[in-house]
Amino acid sequence: MLADLVKAGKLPPVDQRLPVTPKIANEMPASQLKPEIGQYGGFIRTLTPSVGQDTDVFVLCNEPLINTPGILGEEVTPNICEAYEVSPDQKTFTFKLRKGLKWSDGASVTTEDVRYAFEDVLQNPELTKAFPLWLRTASKFDGQPAKATIIDDVTFKLDFAEPYGGFLLVLAVQSWRNYAEFLKPSAYLKKFHKKYAKPEELDAAMKAENVTEWVGLYTLKDRSFLGGGFANKQLLGMPTLHPWVIKTVTPQLTTFERNPYYFKVDAAGNQLPYIDTIQSFYVADVEVIDLKNMAGECDFARSNPKLIKLPLYKENEAKGGYKMRLGRLHATVIDVFLNLTYKDETWRKVVQDKRFRQALNMAIDRAEIIDTIWYGYAKPSTIIPGKLDIAGANKLLDEMGLDKKDADGFRLGPDGKTFVVPFETGAQRADQIPTLELLVAFWKKIGIKTTVKKIDGSLWSQRIAAGEHQATIFWSHTPLWYMGDLGQPYWATLWQQWWTSGGKQGEEPPADVKAFFTKISQISAVPPEQGRKAYDEVRKMMNDNIYYLVPVENMMQPMLANVKLANVSDSEDVFAIGSNFSGEQFFYKK
Amino acid sequence: MAGYIGRRVLQIIPLLFALSIIIFIVIQLPPGDYLTMYMQQLRNVGAAVSESEIANLTQLYALDRPIYEQYYRWITNILLRGDFGMSFQWNRPVAELVGERLLLTMTISIATLLFTWIVSLPIGIYSATHQYSLGDYALTFIGFIGISLPGFLIALVIMYSVFAVTGTAITGLFSPQFIAAPWSWAKIEDALKHVWLPMVIVGLSGTASLIRTMRAMMLDELQQQYVTTARARGVKERKLLFKYPVRLALNPMISTIGWLLPTIVSGEALVSIVLNMPTTGPMLLQSLLAQDMYLAGSILLITSTLTVIGTLLSDILLAWLDPRIRFGAVAEEA
Repeated sequence: MLADLVKAGKLPPVDQRLPVTPKIANEMPASQLKPEIGQYGGFIRTLTPSVGQDTDVFVLCNEPLINTPGILGEEVTPNICEAYEVSPDQKTFTFKLRKGLKWSDGASVTTEDVRYAFEDVLQNPELTKAFPLWLRTASKFDGQPAKATIIDDVTFKLDFAEPYGGFLLVLAVQSWRNYAEFLKPSAYLKKFHKKYAKPEELDAAMKAENVTEWVGLYTLKDRSFLGGGFANKQLLGMPTLHPWVIKTVTPQLTTFERNPYYFKVDAAGNQLPYIDTIQSFYVADVEVIDLKNMAGECDFARSNPKLIKLPLYKENEAKGGYKMRLGRLHATVIDVFLNLTYKDETWRKVVQDKRFRQALNMAIDRAEIIDTIWYGYAKPSTIIPGKLDIAGANKLLDEMGLDKKDADGFRLGPDGKTFVVPFETGAQRADQIPTLELLVAFWKKIGIKTTVKKIDGSLWSQRIAAGEHQATIFWSHTPLWYMGDLGQPYWATLWQQWWTSGGKQGEEPPADVKAFFTKISQISAVPPEQGRKAYDEVRKMMNDNIYYLVPVENMMQPMLANVKLANVSDSEDVFAIGSNFSGEQFFYKK
Repeated sequence: MAGYIGRRVLQIIPLLFALSIIIFIVIQLPPGDYLTMYMQQLRNVGAAVSESEIANLTQLYALDRPIYEQYYRWITNILLRGDFGMSFQWNRPVAELVGERLLLTMTISIATLLFTWIVSLPIGIYSATHQYSLGDYALTFIGFIGISLPGFLIALVIMYSVFAVTGTAITGLFSPQFIAAPWSWAKIEDALKHVWLPMVIVGLSGTASLIRTMRAMMLDELQQQYVTTARARGVKERKLLFKYPVRLALNPMISTIGWLLPTIVSGEALVSIVLNMPTTGPMLLQSLLAQDMYLAGSILLITSTLTVIGTLLSDILLAWLDPRIRFGAVAEEA
């Protein structure tokens, strides 16, 4: 596809498009994928049920400054940058960009782009109302913002006031971090920045977008299409470093074309990606998405396929011309949270008692959850292990003083009324409500009344944010140690608010929770090896205190890919999302 | 007649004003706004939410202003400049987005409407003239299936059956290669290949009720004395049928034109969603879910305006067609 453009003189030859030292793709660790040398051409079709967002494309295109193969967090390698260095005190991080690296429009990537991002965007009070947490020391709310110093054309360093050893993994993968917050195509964006643009040109651009203030215009222009906004025509023409660049935007179809200046090569030195175009189709109904998946109208699907449909996917493999693989989920997705900070004395008295949570945990029949909801593709959790022990659970509850029961056999709370655990869920996943239905049955056996209410997703998130929920089911990233995600917003809502606001909001947590929070923040403050150790301690504290319930882990999810698509890992040990990341190496076998 | 029309037109103005207020309030009723939905969406995929971006977008979309101010802006822009505002999801003017889909939606709806009429009128007449015959029963049976099964279910069943037999999923209005392509003969041809499915499915439920109405009206008329008299005087059966009873039986169809106009614009939302049609119905649902308020509000405002106009039109048509109504109005005026 590109060779013709070069012949026509519209594009410089490939050696002038690649940086001096291109990156050899290593999205997947060698243990999970032995990449073959591919052939160019073809397209990948994806399906999405959301307007202006496609999770699969989001991950296919994502490029961090440094990366961790397979998103395992075991090894950190340079990605966009050519090399990096961490000072012994873990406070200074020096990065060297690749010489000759280019944006997708052919403009050079230099440290001017870093300077622009820090000085003209992050430090511009009009554009940045809140300095990003992750660029503050140890991701703390009161941490000093990073200080960027430009050393030469390709070298820059970031200084933090305190050690921030986990910064590398924060950059590599936390929140699927992209480069966009600290590396911006300055030559292009200056056209929309008040400080650089000519007033009349700025006015014309504002008029074209029908906005009245330059901040509005800038907000529309400087957005990564990864940020959930690729339906926006304003993003056409925005230079990027992604393997594919957004090309057309229509309500039904968004297309992406290969970036001729992409900085990665395969082991033989061929420029990646192999695939020419990506077509993301908007399909409103999730059932129809599955129908199209099975009809082979999709070449790669990770985010949509559901385990519950596994037999159907398998049955139609030949007909649809795809191959179903199983990969690990990168989160535990049916975690059970009781809001320990809900404002009700009786509730707090009961749920803050560790014995109560212990009893609930003991009453969960993990084998049944694994069989009925996961078809065997999950394992009992190790972070909160537990043996089914109804008698033991009953004994604990009796000891707590919850020994009186109502006419239906449900235990009464300290206030003399039937004690109820009322679950509210936004039903973000299809397996949440079936899990809750099982819990209702499990806990009935120990005399705990449990109710389930499905509410609108946005109402759910509002109630969570305000701590108005008593119990809910959601996911947390317990398999990814570097995320530091232990469901704090769901079980410790007000305590978490106190913690992140420096005591201005929420409520002061008790000593054990404070110690727990401190340990979590250490994960990202120290270098990876020590971070892992800190995480082991966090797990132990979780285990001791059972802050929330994690019934099962190691859940699998189906992933569908065109049967001819090569370089997709067959290992069942991969995180499915890790395969998704390695898209630039996908190619079609002839 | 002119006075009658004039009065009816004047009545519309306060009605539309009230409608616009109600629509705006109802859209604001669900908790949160577009940006809370947007943040939720980002969190669900595990991506970071940039507080500054949210703050800037809040300002850009004027979501921090009081509701009456937002309403005032919206309605004055519509009235003075014909500007329906911006869609947050697409960052494009609402008029452009709706306009894109309107032509397609109307084409499909009108085709469906014609299909409904062409099928149901002859069947209705046949069922009435051949009451309780085998044909009547068979057609009634099919009609009842159309009434009792929801369209989206029929759509799913047909789609799955076609998939099970041929291995292809019949959805959408265009084949993939034509979706982003400019209009051409090939594209129209491609659309024609796809359009029959929504036409038949949506048409089926409409057909059923029309057949029933037509049959009932015809049966009423056929028992009238003038029919017997005409028949006694030897008027040919065909002429007899079409000269009077059929014309009279058409009245209910005319009076429901008012409800047809909005459905022509909004399309059959559920079926369109299942069939993945690029029409306004799915767009309305999506905008409501995402709290894309100007898009949702404008679609609702357009459809309700059309309902109002449609009702007016059918009243006028009826008055023109049926002297009893016309004279009734005159008598009232006098």
